[in-house]
Amino acid sequence: MNINIFEGFGHVLYEVAFALIPLLIFFLFFQIFILKLPMKKLMDIFRGMFLTFWGLAFFLQGVHIGFLPAGEMMGTILGQKEHLWVLIPIGFLLGFVATFAEPAVRILNHEVEKVSGGYIPRKVMLYTLSIGVAISIALSMLRIIVGIPLWYFIIPGYLLALIMIKFSTRTFTAIAFDSGGVATGPMTVTFIVAMSVGIATVLEGRDPLLDGFGMIALVALSPILSVLTLGLLYGRKEKGNERTFESES
Amino acid sequence: MQNIKDTVKEVVYAIIPLSLVVIVLQFTMIGMPMEMFMQFIMGVIFVSIGLILFLLGVHIGLLPVGEMIGSALPKMGKAWLVVFFGFLLGFVATVAEPDVRVLAIQVDLVSDGIISRNILIYTVALGVAIFVGLAMLRILLNFPITYLLVGGYGLVFLLAAFTPAQFIPISFDAGGVTTGPMTVPFILALGVGVASVLRGKSASTDGFGLVALASIGPILAVLVLGVIYG
Repeated sequence: MNINIFEGFGHVLYEVAFALIPLLIFFLFFQIFILKLPMKKLMDIFRGMFLTFWGLAFFLQGVHIGFLPAGEMMGTILGQKEHLWVLIPIGFLLGFVATFAEPAVRILNHEVEKVSGGYIPRKVMLYTLSIGVAISIALSMLRIIVGIPLWYFIIPGYLLALIMIKFSTRTFTAIAFDSGGVATGPMTVTFIVAMSVGIATVLEGRDPLLDGFGMIALVALSPILSVLTLGLLYGRKEKGNERTFESES
Repeated sequence: MQNIKDTVKEVVYAIIPLSLVVIVLQFTMIGMPMEMFMQFIMGVIFVSIGLILFLLGVHIGLLPVGEMIGSALPKMGKAWLVVFFGFLLGFVATVAEPDVRVLAIQVDLVSDGIISRNILIYTVALGVAIFVGLAMLRILLNFPITYLLVGGYGLVFLLAAFTPAQFIPISFDAGGVTTGPMTVPFILALGVGVASVLRGKSASTDGFGLVALASIGPILAVLVLGVIYG
């Protein structure tokens, strides 16, 4: 058995260094001219950046050696199955699990809970987002199988979102549009996109560039719709609460 | 110490479900070669270690930096400086964003290098930068986010009519990947910082919405790239 764990790791380290250097320069500029943090705080921040560097390096290496090739092969194998419809429930399951697992989603949920004073519990956000993404990955699978252009989903989707903004509160509008991007984190982008590129490669009449991509777009759209829906459901209660917040502060 | 334990727990809980689904699929209907399956398992271990270190790093180093820069910006007194540094921050955070990189690698591979990864990364970063700058302007002028969202997406649909079909899925995908584990904490913290310093504003409404705007920028930027290529 031949497993290449550290293949290309040097290149990944080089790439991560180049990815982080602009950020470091930016911070140093602020440190020298504006922030002027004490040494102790500065050391904490450098320790954080050091961890970020190795974290990114291991993450990208794991993606390179594991998630990209395995995801693509999984797609290739599934795309050759006789019953292509199984891709739809598989997509649903993967979408749910990937979002449930997504660190960026957790960061947003936490910030939302904090800013809304616990009013929007992170559990409710988490389940709403996960189901939203699950549906959109299932739809993406359908899109690849049938060969529907991305437009047919994107235009009605965004129109619906724009219409719902009219009925939503400003807070929920902002959170909804933020959560769209947040749900499309490293798990979705690495594993599930690799899989859909794999499927589009083996299916006859599909162009991997045209049909394999576009999934992230749908993944970004569906949480927007689900959070806006959540916003409409919570809407009435929130109006009462905003008054309470104002009198407290 | 508690922080480390929580992060480890979070990442392990986060990754095990996805991996279990793949493992179950492997033994029921996929059956990829054992070597590839072992590569996947190693990938899971590496990604887990990577995410644990990354999240710890974000907590210790990046979130406080984002918040401090966010609250230092408006104190500079000059609106154009806030917009300019918002622009720069958007750019540097996106270049460091792992998701953008992963998408660019995949596009590079699938397009046989026609859309090279560096071109895509810098295009996307420029798009984010412009829109973070605009978002700063919006917070300063107290301009409703809805106008920017509607205007931005309107422009997206207009540009999409002039760009080659292959660029459309990629451009919308690029809009999604800019909001990953690097950009989100950084930009959210920046927005919350700026909004909390400016008096009389709800941090919730103004801090959030930044990420949303940051994902329109790259869609537009990649569509423009498509027009240039086409």
